[in-house]
Order: sequence, then structure tokens, then C-alpha cells
Amino acid sequence: MKVFLIFLSAILVNNFVLQRFLGICPFLGVSKKIDTAFGMSLAVVFVMLLASIITWLLNGVLILMGLGFLKTIVFILVIASLVQFVEIFLKKTSPALYEALGIFLPLITTNCAILGLALLNIQNEYSLVETVFHALGAGIGFGLALVLFAGIREQLEFADMPKPFKGLAGALITAGILSMAFVGFSGMIKL
Amino acid sequence: MVFVNSIILLGALGFGFGTFLAFAAKKFEVKEDPRLEKIVEVLPSANCGACGYPGCEAFAKAVLKGEAPKDGCLPGKAQGVSEKIKKILEEG
Repeated sequence: MKVFLIFLSAILVNNFVLQRFLGICPFLGVSKKIDTAFGMSLAVVFVMLLASIITWLLNGVLILMGLGFLKTIVFILVIASLVQFVEIFLKKTSPALYEALGIFLPLITTNCAILGLALLNIQNEYSLVETVFHALGAGIGFGLALVLFAGIREQLEFADMPKPFKGLAGALITAGILSMAFVGFSGMIKL
Repeated sequence: MVFVNSIILLGALGFGFGTFLAFAAKKFEVKEDPRLEKIVEVLPSANCGACGYPGCEAFAKAVLKGEAPKDGCLPGKAQGVSEKIKKILEEG
């Protein structure tokens, strides 16, 4: 039961982008088209899932060896390697998506949402199963925010806006309003 | 003791991930234009974006496609980058 609540809260109540304000860089950078936003979300879900499992296991090793202070460095190492693998894999299997994501694919490494998720799993003392569902929820929540915003931005291109608000300025204001909309979910699930 | 443990753990992790990535790179290799790597090598690798492209590799690809001018790299002008690019493109 708790697992299901963790999963749902990571998507809606504690959305990583719109509530925790993590991962804003790809949120603004890849959300111009729905297709790239969706592709980016898939990559992020994959990295989040694998990174959470591997870092959770490695944290056990770190504590066993009394090296808890190495947590941040080790987690970054894991995430960087995983993202590099995703890059290599994507370049071969889907060159179109690789080109569309461009510089934002390797930037997943520095995406604070991934590291934040890994550290949160440890901080909240989740078991491995809870970690997996937390990661899945976080990834899906990230994808939801991204695709939603991409859809809005595609429509915003055709809207008649005053000159100071055109482009990124209007997009940022819209992002704020979208975040406010998600505040409506807060308090729904108390963990 | 902590010192030794840290070195062993980080060393093992680095070696493990490095090996895994080396295997993956071989398995998922993509055949690229060999001139691309040569051009990237002569660029300053600052990824400053002054050329208007997101990173030095993107500029190199645009030069190969013929979309970017050979002297588009501003920091590289002093180092004679455009001549080196011209040479690479002529040699083929």
C-alpha cells in the first residue's frame, strides 16, 4: 500500500519538476516539441530507474565499509556512467532522437533530479522495492511535466502575445502557472 | 584504513564502469566520417558556442555538411584553425 502511495505522490503531489523544482534545465530546453519531450522522458525514466537501484545497492556497500561520506561522489560516478551508456545506445538505435536531444542528453548527468532522487531514496530510508517505485514515479512525473509543458508551448507559438512576453519569457510565466496548478495536489497524500 | 578502503572502492568502481562502457562502445559502434574526429581534434574544444552551434562537435558536423563556414570558429582564428580545417577537408 505504501509503495503505491510513494509511486502516486512522486507523480502528482511531489512532482520532481513542478513541486521540487529539480531538473528545470531539460524542462525548459527540451520542451519545444512533444516528440523530443517524450523521448527525453523515456531516457530520464530509464536512467532514474537504473541509477536508483545501483546507488541504493552501493549505499549499502558504502555503509558496510564505513565510507558514507563518499556517497555524493559515488552516486555521480554511477549516474555519469549510466548516461554515457544511454548515449552510446541511443546513437546506434535511434540517431534521430539522439540528434533531437543534442546537448541535453549528456546534460542528464548533471540533472539534479537524478541525483536528488538517489539521495532522497537514502534520506527517506526506502527499501529496495520502495526505491524502485519511487524512481518510476519520479520518472513518470518528470515525463508528465515535460510533455504537458511541451504541449502548452507548441500552442503558445501560435498565440498572439505582446512582444516582451514572446518566446522564453512567456514560457517561464506559463511554467510558474503550471506549477501553481499542481499545488492543488499538495496534502493529498501524507507520507 | 578509511583511506585505503576509499581508494579500493572508487578504483574498483571506476575500473568496473570503465570496462562496461568500453564493451558497450564497441558493441554499439556507429560508423562515422573519419574527418569528423580530425576536425574536432583541431578545434579549441572550449564549447563556447561563439560559432552559433551547441558545442565543437556540432560545429564540426556542420562544416562537413557544408552548412558552416570554415572560419566560423572565433577563438580558433588566432591558432589558424580554418587553414587546418581546409587541409583536412581537402585530404579527405
